[in-house]
Amino acid sequence: MESSAARKMTAEGWLEPPPLPHHYETEENHKHALRFGMWLFLGTEVLLFAGIFVGYFVFRTYFPEAFEQAGRHLSLFWGTANTLVLLTSSLTVATAHYYAEHGKNRNAFWLLTASIAMGGMFLCIKGIEYHDKFVELALPGKFFHYNEITAPGGPIFYVVYFFATGLHALHVIVGMSLLTWVAVRCWRKEFSPQYYAPVENAGLYWHLVDLVWIFLYPLLYLV
Amino acid sequence: MASTSSASAPAHAHGFGPGKLLLNWLILVCLTFSTFGVSQIQMPVNYHLAAAICISVVKTTLVVLFFMHLWWGEGINRIVFLTSFLFLLLLMFFVMADVGTRFTLSNSRIAPLPKIDQTMMPTGMPPGMGNVPQGHSDGPGPSSGKAGEQ
Repeated sequence: MESSAARKMTAEGWLEPPPLPHHYETEENHKHALRFGMWLFLGTEVLLFAGIFVGYFVFRTYFPEAFEQAGRHLSLFWGTANTLVLLTSSLTVATAHYYAEHGKNRNAFWLLTASIAMGGMFLCIKGIEYHDKFVELALPGKFFHYNEITAPGGPIFYVVYFFATGLHALHVIVGMSLLTWVAVRCWRKEFSPQYYAPVENAGLYWHLVDLVWIFLYPLLYLV
Repeated sequence: MASTSSASAPAHAHGFGPGKLLLNWLILVCLTFSTFGVSQIQMPVNYHLAAAICISVVKTTLVVLFFMHLWWGEGINRIVFLTSFLFLLLLMFFVMADVGTRFTLSNSRIAPLPKIDQTMMPTGMPPGMGNVPQGHSDGPGPSSGKAGEQ
């Protein structure tokens, strides 16, 4: 970032790429390393959420009726709306990556802005759902005082629900911050066919957030 | 915005253009509605689970291959992602094999819940937790052995 001021604008309308770190032989080499690092990190993220999904299935096996009852009390409308919002934001992020790679920084900027807005929309909808749960006292552990769920294990369902969706929402917030950072750099026209790794890697993170929701949505809301 | 001219395309460009990305998104939206549709059909809950997971796996594949560019990606990145999924499946398989066959607990579709004397419950137990047996239970009923299910 600090080098962006010193970098010159090229005739094509984007800033020169930052100098290649000395330990890489070629640009391509550098790109592969950045991408590989991101995929390794995403691998650890998959394993982080693996624990939550295994927890879900274990408790579902112990308390099948409570999970069915509680699933029916989640808002199908808001859950489906949030799925569509996240899928659409993935589309805009993937398209922003395409434009950044082609040096069309302004297009990428607006698409990233739309993605951030959709991330905000997702969090607002999640907030509405959380608010309803707090009003109904459909809460985890000892805070559970919700009479609609009669089968044993209701409090456990809400532990899984709040933990899974809470951790996911935290990832949405981190993803929005990353997208904001690359959107600002798009506005400064920093990306070009030679240099677009930050857009690509922030995008990969955002798609992973979408992937987690792709599984959470049917497991919590539909089954 | 509408221009998809490739005048400035990098020589090594990979990945779909906006049109094909939009198509991928449309398929994903259709799959979302089909998950929703399938969930409204009357059938056993395990079939619902299986259908939901299958559709989610298809959606994941589309996102990973085309939005995340693994279709064009280096082999090492594919290995990293597939390995993390393999480990997820390993963890899931062994834990569920254990839970599904060893414990009965309150799985009342397998065995009736043991009656617990409410006066013996510790105070401050939240509602809904009252009749959850604690720890390993070899409770009554024809439940031990392979009666367990996922």
